[in-house]
Amino acid sequence: MNDYINNFLFTYFPYIALTIFFFGFITRLVKFNKTVQAESTQFLADNKVKLASNLFHVGIIFVFFGHLTLFLPEWLYHMVMTTETKRMIALSMGSFFGTMAFVGMSMLVFRRFGSPRMKRNSSFMDYFIIILLLIEIVIGLSAALRTATAPIETYAALGEWAQAVVTFQPDAGLILANHPLQYKLHIVVGLFIFMIFPYTKLMHMLVFPYVYFFRSGYQLVRKRS
Amino acid sequence: MLIRAQIAMVMNLDKCIGCHTCSVTCKNVWTSRKGVEYVWFNNVETKPGIGYPDEWENQERWKGGWKLDKDSVTPRMGSKPGIIKNIFANPTMPTIDDYYEPFTFNYSVLHKGSKFKTPPTARPHSILTGKVMEKIEKTPNWEDDLGGEFAKRGMDANFKGVPKDIYGEFKNSFIMYLPRICEHCLNPTCVAVCPSGAIYKREEDGIVLIDQERCRGWRQCISGCPYKKVYFNWETKRSEKCTFCYPRIEAGESTICSESCVGRIRYIGMMLYDADKIKSAAMTPDETDLYDEHLNLFLDPRDPDVISEARKQGIPENVLQAAAASPIYRMAIDWKIAFPLHPEYRTLPMVWYVPPLSPIQSAANSGDIGMNGILPDVDDMRISHKYLANLFTAGDEKPVKDALKRMLAMRAYMRSKTVDKEENLTVLEGTDLTPEEVEKMYHLLAIANYKDRFVIPTSHREEAKNVYLKQSSCGFSDGGCDDNQKIKNLFGGI
Repeated sequence: MNDYINNFLFTYFPYIALTIFFFGFITRLVKFNKTVQAESTQFLADNKVKLASNLFHVGIIFVFFGHLTLFLPEWLYHMVMTTETKRMIALSMGSFFGTMAFVGMSMLVFRRFGSPRMKRNSSFMDYFIIILLLIEIVIGLSAALRTATAPIETYAALGEWAQAVVTFQPDAGLILANHPLQYKLHIVVGLFIFMIFPYTKLMHMLVFPYVYFFRSGYQLVRKRS
Repeated sequence: MLIRAQIAMVMNLDKCIGCHTCSVTCKNVWTSRKGVEYVWFNNVETKPGIGYPDEWENQERWKGGWKLDKDSVTPRMGSKPGIIKNIFANPTMPTIDDYYEPFTFNYSVLHKGSKFKTPPTARPHSILTGKVMEKIEKTPNWEDDLGGEFAKRGMDANFKGVPKDIYGEFKNSFIMYLPRICEHCLNPTCVAVCPSGAIYKREEDGIVLIDQERCRGWRQCISGCPYKKVYFNWETKRSEKCTFCYPRIEAGESTICSESCVGRIRYIGMMLYDADKIKSAAMTPDETDLYDEHLNLFLDPRDPDVISEARKQGIPENVLQAAAASPIYRMAIDWKIAFPLHPEYRTLPMVWYVPPLSPIQSAANSGDIGMNGILPDVDDMRISHKYLANLFTAGDEKPVKDALKRMLAMRAYMRSKTVDKEENLTVLEGTDLTPEEVEKMYHLLAIANYKDRFVIPTSHREEAKNVYLKQSSCGFSDGGCDDNQKIKNLFGGI
């Protein structure tokens, strides 16, 4: 890949994407907080959504947290495991939950495009997000497949790159210069999703009602205010 | 003792003619918008029937209300983790097909179309897909006036313990109407299962509302409510419910369903209750005792101790006066002729019902059924007592029977007084009613004057905010100076 493009995509684009992400994230939460919600369509369409939605959500949540292990520095995880072990865990967990998310998402795509009720009540953003996520999952799974056969350095480099980016190292992009295309696509699409995240319905995950567990008792009474 | 005031309603089913005027006025005021075409905050069901949405009383299917545990009650849907686990897809949520597919008619074709070869028709179009519907399969009152076959209506959960095949025969069939709104429960499950904390009970009058600005659309309340009176707006993707017309109540006016009721069957009044006892009442071990325990929650608004304690706790004077004159207290407690709907859900509902008498007098007079002394025998009524008891007292027939006896006695006494011009006191025997009480009962139930039916204190908005702070601020505006716009920059600062 052309040096210039490589440098742009893997050294600078992460910062551009994250800046736009944080700008949108803060504006949305501060100024448009009330627009953040789950946009469930379970009510309109048939019950197939129960399986599909659970598969997708559970899968994608595990996959997402799996990706965070990229930020573990080598010296830290070497205390308990080797890079090979980490790769093995990452691959087995990633492919399992990734496949789960893939199956769920495929079902959701079919449902979104197949049902006349959904067709009439879906916006461009609904289609766009669902396709984008499906593409990202497919690329991610193919990258996982590639990792299984590639040399261990290829895997280790992904973590190095991620850590280089968050620690503001110059030339972070060089680390990935010779990586196969799947990885690069997965990263670019992933960063793109981060970039548009606060401007879409994906924001619903940030209002996950964890406070519910801490609510004392069951009843809520409000005084006049 | 924690005294709270609750606005409550009683519907006198004995006078309901099933005209749906309440539903229509409610619809026009609250739910004539996109996304809630299918929603009827007030609907009138013909019983026996499975109702709207399908089989709403079947809690095996919908998991609404509370279940009794060893030392507490928990939502039948599950514990808190069990509910959160369901936010990706709620397994017990009715979908729109369990209500009905909303439709409209393309009337424009009637005056815009060119020449017709056949007589012109306006065909139904689905609001969800915009396509022509070949056949309308369902509406909120599809079973109106016993529409449809008994096999389907017979799935009514209230037939539990009733030999229902007998009532499937035409000569034994019976009918009653059941208008339904949100129960504004003392122990609402919808509030308990809302992960966002968007649903709340107002302290001053107990009205249960959904804060549209906090609702995040997790959909648990729809399953949680055993009466299926929380609805999902598929356009905004948030829940909505009956508001007890709170803007009208605050102004001392009745709800729109009550105001427009042509049969004058609805009564609204204040009740005082002890909020500390809610938990223990909801935990009553035996379902048939729930009605009595519910009655025990209420405080006598004429008791000087209660009044002075309520004053101490800051209940406004006009609320106390309204509570003392409450028609609900008279019917529910003094005369015990009104009952909660499905107390076994343990939600402590606050919209109560006077059970309907069924055709009996004429049949009794013609000698077809037995007379119990002077009054017709309530056991020979057309509507099964067990059925009514399943609706109102978790299956305990005695309170329902006693109520029907009192109502019959009132009729017989007033008939003797106004027609025979001779007061027949023997008809009151065994009913605990004095002639004075019967007169009052007659006045409230039969004459049903407006001012007696609705005793609603105006709310005290002046206590809600320091209105002087609002001086010189915007009145009505399309934005620009409401509270949310005061944030000058993103971080809420300067």
